[in-house]
Amino acid sequence: MTRTKKILLASCGTIALAGAASADTVRIGITQNNVGIDSYQTTYEQAFIAAAEANPNVEVIVLDAGGDVARQISQMQDLIQQRVDAIIIWPTDGQALVPAVRNAHREGIPVVVTNSNIAEAGMDFIAAFSGPNNIQQGIYSAEMMCEALGGEGQIVQITGMPGYTTAIERQKGFDDRLAELCPGVTQMDIQPGDWNRERAQRTMETFLTRFDQIDGVYSGDDNMGVGALNAALAAGRAEGMVFIGATNFAVGYDAMARGEYWGSVYQSPVDDARAALQTALDVLAGEDVPKLNYFDTPKITQDNMHEFDRPVF
Amino acid sequence: MTRLKAGGPAIAKQGILVAFIVFMIAFSLMSDRFLSADNIMSVFRQSAIIGVMAIGVTIVVIGGNLDLSVGSMLSFATVLVVDLHDKIGPELAIPVMVLATLCLGAINGFLIGILRLNSLIVTLGMLSAIQGLVLIYSGGQNVDIVDQRGTWFAIFGRGAVFGIATPIIIFGALALIFHVIMTTMPFGRRVHAVGGNPTASVFSGIPRSRVVFMTYLISALCVAIAAIILGSRVMGSQNNVGQGYELQVLAAVILGGTSLLGGSGSILRTVLGVLMLAFIQNGLILMGQPYYTQWLVTWAVIIVAVWLDVAAKRGRLFSPIA
Repeated sequence: MTRTKKILLASCGTIALAGAASADTVRIGITQNNVGIDSYQTTYEQAFIAAAEANPNVEVIVLDAGGDVARQISQMQDLIQQRVDAIIIWPTDGQALVPAVRNAHREGIPVVVTNSNIAEAGMDFIAAFSGPNNIQQGIYSAEMMCEALGGEGQIVQITGMPGYTTAIERQKGFDDRLAELCPGVTQMDIQPGDWNRERAQRTMETFLTRFDQIDGVYSGDDNMGVGALNAALAAGRAEGMVFIGATNFAVGYDAMARGEYWGSVYQSPVDDARAALQTALDVLAGEDVPKLNYFDTPKITQDNMHEFDRPVF
Repeated sequence: MTRLKAGGPAIAKQGILVAFIVFMIAFSLMSDRFLSADNIMSVFRQSAIIGVMAIGVTIVVIGGNLDLSVGSMLSFATVLVVDLHDKIGPELAIPVMVLATLCLGAINGFLIGILRLNSLIVTLGMLSAIQGLVLIYSGGQNVDIVDQRGTWFAIFGRGAVFGIATPIIIFGALALIFHVIMTTMPFGRRVHAVGGNPTASVFSGIPRSRVVFMTYLISALCVAIAAIILGSRVMGSQNNVGQGYELQVLAAVILGGTSLLGGSGSILRTVLGVLMLAFIQNGLILMGQPYYTQWLVTWAVIIVAVWLDVAAKRGRLFSPIA
């Protein structure tokens, strides 16, 4: 703790002053999944760094695993070696990272998992999880679908990449809630779109050939949802068809503004990043932090979309 | 020199066609929508992107090399053309993208053709290098065309001429052009010669380096054309949109009976391979099968088709040296 920094802190005002008396700067290391591979993760990193810079008590070491499990394990080891105060991890693989998280735990370094949770076996070793509740998002989508269809209709579902936790959880939330809330809506088929718009478009084209009547389409994210919408528009069958997505993308937002897309779930990478940092700070401050911390991901529809900014991705 | 001869007994070359017909009949018995005109057109249109790429890769493979970089090259080209569309307009975006993609092909061609490096290593490295390039260029952001309804760029992926979807026309025309080049023109014979026996081809006065270089340029050109179709169809692009396409393309080429050892193969049979893979995916969804059956069935069909192909060539189902 340098003298200049303390002076700086003192001049920052009363709030900072209160903390500066007891706490030194905390060093937090973050190892991310794969920055740059999609807009969400890119925005997340920018927001995380911005949030850390805004807080003079925080010094962050920002790492990225590039989607590589082995690299992330060695980054975990590096952060342990550097004796950071806390580690935030966005796991490339919820199962394979458990031993690395356990090591940090043994060394007395609290670990906060962000965005996608670690496997069940690792839950004892983490201080907290911070991220979206994907099951809840699936539930929201089911509720919107039910409402839009008035409780009656035939729908299809296009899921994310098979095997991905996010894809599995959203599907589970949707399937369970739809069956419970809306027995009058039948799901005719569920096929993957691999988070890929073109692939989702192909899947939807085949659905359109196979089914004469499709009243609604649920997609695991808006990127795929817009692919499905494109297919229906090209076939001249989009009129009256209800499109519900998740993770509102800019293209989904725009389609909603045109009245072609019914609703989605608004998940902000900025909120995600801020929540992760805040959770880590709460843990370090010795607060009683619950194991699972979900940030709010509200429903967004044509009716309330004016309350939300157009997504940056 | 028998390998250079185009002829041979007609039936010996038709293993893949037989497999294709058997498979189509089987699927049409299981789903009444399968052979509807709408569905056939839809599958043709869907297969155009993979198909155009497979034409280029077939030529590379006949020349005795591999190209695994086409997947991330597709991501590169699609992101570039979609991004530039709104910045400089489609009439400039297309030539700029084509040139940039040809540069990547030239790098492949230089390293493999001129420096004679192993094509598996070079293109596998290019697979990740180009993906990195895409991420640097886009900063990780998805790109989208804002005015999706108004742009004439839509013609390539969404348009139709005389009722036939443009992607099908592009795919068909390219397949025919390159089929003619590969079967009747000196360049085609040179590619076969270089792939069949590189040493002999050099002693026959064939400019091996230049021929290999050209095959990679053609492959890159095909990727650029596929990117135009993809960008126009989707009107946007993810950074990793082509991820995994290289394996689908290679599967189609192998299914078409092109020898991975080089020297033999056919564009038209690659087209059959492409269509067969597309019809498998389509047919299984039409039948309401869960997605994982697609992987199993695709694998099984490739094995059976390759087996029938080999069997047809040697005139018996099992190896004589069993």
